[in-house]
Amino acid sequence: MAAGRSAALKLDWTKISTSLGLKGQTATALQAFKKRNDDARRKVNLLSSQPQSVDFQHYRSTLNNTAVVDEIQGHFKAFKPATYDVGRQIKAIEAFEVQAVKSAEETKGRVDGELRELEKTLENIETARPFEDLTVDEVAAARPDIDSRTEQLVSKGRWHVPGYKEKFGDLSVL
Amino acid sequence: MPQLVPFYFLNQITFAFILLIVMIYIFSKYILPRFVRLFNTRVFITKL
Repeated sequence: MAAGRSAALKLDWTKISTSLGLKGQTATALQAFKKRNDDARRKVNLLSSQPQSVDFQHYRSTLNNTAVVDEIQGHFKAFKPATYDVGRQIKAIEAFEVQAVKSAEETKGRVDGELRELEKTLENIETARPFEDLTVDEVAAARPDIDSRTEQLVSKGRWHVPGYKEKFGDLSVL
Repeated sequence: MPQLVPFYFLNQITFAFILLIVMIYIFSKYILPRFVRLFNTRVFITKL
Protein backbone atom coordinates (compact mmCIF):
# COMPACT_ATOMS: atom_id res chain seq x y z
CA MET A 1 0.00 0.00 0.00
CA ALA A 2 2.78 2.41 0.94
CA ALA A 3 4.61 1.65 -2.27
CA GLY A 4 1.45 2.26 -4.28
CA ARG A 5 0.83 5.56 -2.57
CA SER A 6 4.36 6.78 -3.18
CA ALA A 7 4.15 5.73 -6.82
CA ALA A 8 0.88 7.64 -7.20
CA LEU A 9 2.50 10.70 -5.62
CA LYS A 10 5.51 10.47 -7.86
CA LEU A 11 3.36 10.42 -10.99
CA ASP A 12 3.51 13.62 -13.02
CA TRP A 13 0.07 13.66 -14.57
CA THR A 14 0.51 16.63 -16.86
CA LYS A 15 3.70 15.16 -18.23
CA ILE A 16 2.08 11.84 -19.11
CA SER A 17 -0.46 13.18 -21.56
CA THR A 18 1.99 15.58 -23.19
CA SER A 19 5.01 13.31 -23.44
CA LEU A 20 3.06 10.27 -24.64
CA GLY A 21 1.01 12.37 -27.02
CA LEU A 22 -2.24 10.79 -25.88
CA LYS A 23 -5.39 11.77 -27.68
CA GLY A 24 -9.12 11.16 -27.72
CA GLN A 25 -10.51 8.30 -25.68
CA THR A 26 -7.23 7.46 -23.96
CA ALA A 27 -6.71 11.05 -22.79
CA THR A 28 -10.24 11.35 -21.42
CA ALA A 29 -9.92 7.97 -19.67
CA LEU A 30 -6.67 9.13 -18.13
CA GLN A 31 -8.28 12.38 -17.01
CA ALA A 32 -11.13 10.47 -15.36
CA PHE A 33 -8.67 8.17 -13.63
CA LYS A 34 -6.65 11.11 -12.35
CA LYS A 35 -9.84 12.71 -11.00
CA ARG A 36 -10.75 9.50 -9.19
CA ASN A 37 -7.27 9.30 -7.74
CA ASP A 38 -7.39 12.92 -6.56
CA ASP A 39 -10.81 12.46 -5.01
CA ALA A 40 -9.75 9.34 -3.15
CA ARG A 41 -6.60 11.01 -1.85
CA ARG A 42 -8.51 14.07 -0.68
CA LYS A 43 -11.02 11.84 1.12
CA VAL A 44 -8.26 9.92 2.87
CA ASN A 45 -6.58 13.15 3.97
CA LEU A 46 -9.88 14.56 5.25
CA LEU A 47 -10.74 11.41 7.20
CA SER A 48 -7.30 10.90 8.70
CA SER A 49 -7.22 14.51 9.93
CA GLN A 50 -10.37 13.93 12.01
CA PRO A 51 -10.00 12.68 15.60
CA GLN A 52 -9.98 8.91 15.85
CA SER A 53 -10.42 8.38 19.59
CA VAL A 54 -13.42 8.93 21.83
CA ASP A 55 -13.18 10.23 25.38
CA PHE A 56 -15.55 7.78 27.10
CA GLN A 57 -14.61 9.04 30.58
CA HIS A 58 -16.04 12.44 29.71
CA TYR A 59 -19.35 10.91 28.61
CA ARG A 60 -19.45 8.66 31.70
CA SER A 61 -19.05 11.64 34.00
CA THR A 62 -21.66 13.79 32.20
CA LEU A 63 -24.34 11.18 31.41
CA ASN A 64 -26.42 9.52 34.13
CA ASN A 65 -26.99 6.35 32.09
CA THR A 66 -23.50 4.87 32.11
CA ALA A 67 -24.75 1.54 30.76
CA VAL A 68 -25.25 3.16 27.36
CA VAL A 69 -21.71 4.49 27.44
CA ASP A 70 -20.39 1.04 28.40
CA GLU A 71 -22.27 -0.55 25.56
CA ILE A 72 -21.02 1.99 23.03
CA GLN A 73 -17.47 1.57 24.34
CA GLY A 74 -17.80 -2.20 23.90
CA HIS A 75 -18.97 -1.72 20.34
CA PHE A 76 -16.17 0.75 19.70
CA LYS A 77 -13.54 -1.67 20.96
CA ALA A 78 -15.05 -4.53 19.00
CA PHE A 79 -15.14 -2.48 15.81
CA LYS A 80 -12.80 -3.63 13.17
CA PRO A 81 -12.43 -1.83 9.90
CA ALA A 82 -13.90 -3.91 7.12
CA THR A 83 -11.25 -5.36 4.86
CA TYR A 84 -11.89 -5.50 1.20
CA ASP A 85 -10.73 -8.29 -1.01
CA VAL A 86 -9.00 -6.35 -3.77
CA GLY A 87 -7.67 -9.50 -5.43
CA ARG A 88 -10.55 -9.64 -7.87
CA GLN A 89 -10.18 -6.01 -8.83
CA ILE A 90 -6.45 -6.41 -9.25
CA LYS A 91 -7.10 -9.44 -11.44
CA ALA A 92 -9.53 -7.41 -13.52
CA ILE A 93 -6.97 -4.63 -13.81
CA GLU A 94 -4.33 -7.09 -14.91
CA ALA A 95 -6.68 -8.57 -17.49
CA PHE A 96 -7.39 -5.05 -18.71
CA GLU A 97 -3.68 -4.34 -18.86
CA VAL A 98 -3.05 -7.45 -20.93
CA GLN A 99 -5.87 -6.40 -23.24
CA ALA A 100 -4.53 -2.85 -23.48
CA VAL A 101 -0.99 -4.03 -24.21
CA LYS A 102 -2.32 -6.40 -26.84
CA SER A 103 -4.34 -3.72 -28.56
CA ALA A 104 -1.41 -1.31 -28.35
CA GLU A 105 0.87 -3.85 -30.01
CA GLU A 106 -1.75 -4.45 -32.65
CA THR A 107 -2.00 -0.75 -33.33
CA LYS A 108 1.77 -0.52 -33.45
CA GLY A 109 1.92 -3.30 -36.01
CA ARG A 110 -0.74 -1.63 -38.11
CA VAL A 111 0.98 1.73 -37.93
CA ASP A 112 4.32 0.14 -38.82
CA GLY A 113 2.75 -1.53 -41.84
CA GLU A 114 1.22 1.75 -42.93
CA LEU A 115 4.54 3.50 -42.48
CA ARG A 116 6.30 0.92 -44.63
CA GLU A 117 3.65 1.34 -47.29
CA LEU A 118 4.02 5.11 -47.20
CA GLU A 119 7.79 4.88 -47.43
CA LYS A 120 7.44 2.63 -50.42
CA THR A 121 5.10 5.14 -52.04
CA LEU A 122 7.51 7.96 -51.25
CA GLU A 123 10.39 6.05 -52.77
CA ASN A 124 8.23 5.37 -55.79
CA ILE A 125 7.51 9.06 -56.17
CA GLU A 126 11.12 10.07 -55.68
CA THR A 127 12.52 7.56 -58.13
CA ALA A 128 9.81 8.13 -60.73
CA ARG A 129 11.09 9.12 -64.12
CA PRO A 130 9.79 12.26 -65.84
CA PHE A 131 6.93 11.84 -68.31
CA GLU A 132 9.23 12.58 -71.21
CA ASP A 133 11.13 9.35 -70.55
CA LEU A 134 8.08 7.13 -70.31
CA THR A 135 6.86 4.97 -73.16
CA VAL A 136 3.24 4.26 -73.97
CA ASP A 137 3.76 0.60 -73.09
CA GLU A 138 5.00 1.48 -69.59
CA VAL A 139 2.08 3.80 -68.90
CA ALA A 140 -0.37 1.24 -70.25
CA ALA A 141 1.22 -1.45 -68.10
CA ALA A 142 0.75 0.73 -65.04
CA ARG A 143 -2.84 1.58 -65.98
CA PRO A 144 -4.56 -1.33 -67.77
CA ASP A 145 -7.70 0.77 -68.17
CA ILE A 146 -5.95 2.69 -70.98
CA ASP A 147 -5.88 -0.47 -73.07
CA SER A 148 -9.45 -1.38 -72.23
CA ARG A 149 -10.61 2.14 -73.11
CA THR A 150 -8.73 2.00 -76.40
CA GLU A 151 -10.32 -1.32 -77.23
CA GLN A 152 -13.74 0.05 -76.41
CA LEU A 153 -13.28 3.12 -78.62
CA VAL A 154 -11.89 1.10 -81.52
CA SER A 155 -14.65 -1.49 -81.34
CA LYS A 156 -17.19 1.32 -81.58
CA GLY A 157 -15.37 2.67 -84.64
CA ARG A 158 -14.29 5.87 -82.90
CA TRP A 159 -10.79 6.91 -83.79
CA HIS A 160 -10.80 10.11 -81.77
CA VAL A 161 -10.12 10.26 -78.06
CA PRO A 162 -12.58 12.62 -76.39
CA GLY A 163 -10.81 15.63 -74.95
CA TYR A 164 -7.63 15.09 -76.94
CA LYS A 165 -8.18 17.72 -79.61
CA GLU A 166 -9.10 20.37 -77.06
CA LYS A 167 -5.85 19.81 -75.21
CA PHE A 168 -3.34 19.09 -77.92
CA GLY A 169 -5.01 20.34 -81.14
CA ASP A 170 -4.47 18.58 -84.43
CA LEU A 171 -2.72 19.13 -87.74
CA SER A 172 -5.91 19.08 -89.78
CA VAL A 173 -6.14 22.01 -92.18
CA LEU A 174 -9.87 21.67 -92.63
CA MET B 1 2.03 -2.29 -124.64
CA PRO B 2 0.74 -3.91 -121.46
CA GLN B 3 -2.83 -2.80 -122.11
CA LEU B 4 -2.95 -5.24 -124.96
CA VAL B 5 -2.30 -8.23 -122.74
CA PRO B 6 -5.57 -10.18 -122.30
CA PHE B 7 -7.31 -9.60 -118.90
CA TYR B 8 -4.85 -6.83 -118.08
CA PHE B 9 -7.53 -4.45 -116.66
CA LEU B 10 -9.31 -7.24 -114.88
CA ASN B 11 -6.01 -8.10 -113.27
CA GLN B 12 -5.51 -4.45 -112.24
CA ILE B 13 -8.97 -4.23 -110.70
CA THR B 14 -8.63 -7.50 -108.85
CA PHE B 15 -5.31 -6.64 -107.29
CA ALA B 16 -6.42 -3.11 -106.50
CA PHE B 17 -9.35 -4.47 -104.49
CA ILE B 18 -7.20 -7.02 -102.76
CA LEU B 19 -4.67 -4.35 -101.82
CA LEU B 20 -7.44 -2.06 -100.56
CA ILE B 21 -8.90 -4.77 -98.38
CA VAL B 22 -5.52 -5.74 -96.96
CA MET B 23 -4.69 -2.11 -96.23
CA ILE B 24 -8.00 -1.47 -94.49
CA TYR B 25 -7.50 -4.56 -92.37
CA ILE B 26 -3.95 -3.71 -91.35
CA PHE B 27 -4.77 -0.07 -90.60
CA SER B 28 -7.85 -0.79 -88.55
CA LYS B 29 -6.29 -3.69 -86.70
CA TYR B 30 -2.74 -2.53 -86.03
CA ILE B 31 -1.88 1.01 -86.99
CA LEU B 32 -4.83 3.22 -86.05
CA PRO B 33 -5.49 1.56 -82.66
CA ARG B 34 -1.89 2.30 -81.82
CA PHE B 35 -2.57 5.99 -82.35
CA VAL B 36 -5.72 5.86 -80.26
CA ARG B 37 -3.73 4.21 -77.52
CA LEU B 38 -1.06 6.89 -77.71
CA PHE B 39 -3.68 9.65 -77.51
CA ASN B 40 -5.36 7.92 -74.61
CA THR B 41 -2.04 7.75 -72.78
CA ARG B 42 -1.35 11.41 -73.43
CA VAL B 43 -4.76 12.40 -72.10
CA PHE B 44 -4.18 10.19 -69.05
CA ILE B 45 -0.77 11.59 -68.10
CA THR B 46 -1.94 15.17 -68.50
CA LYS B 47 -4.84 14.42 -66.14
CA LEU B 48 -2.51 13.21 -63.35
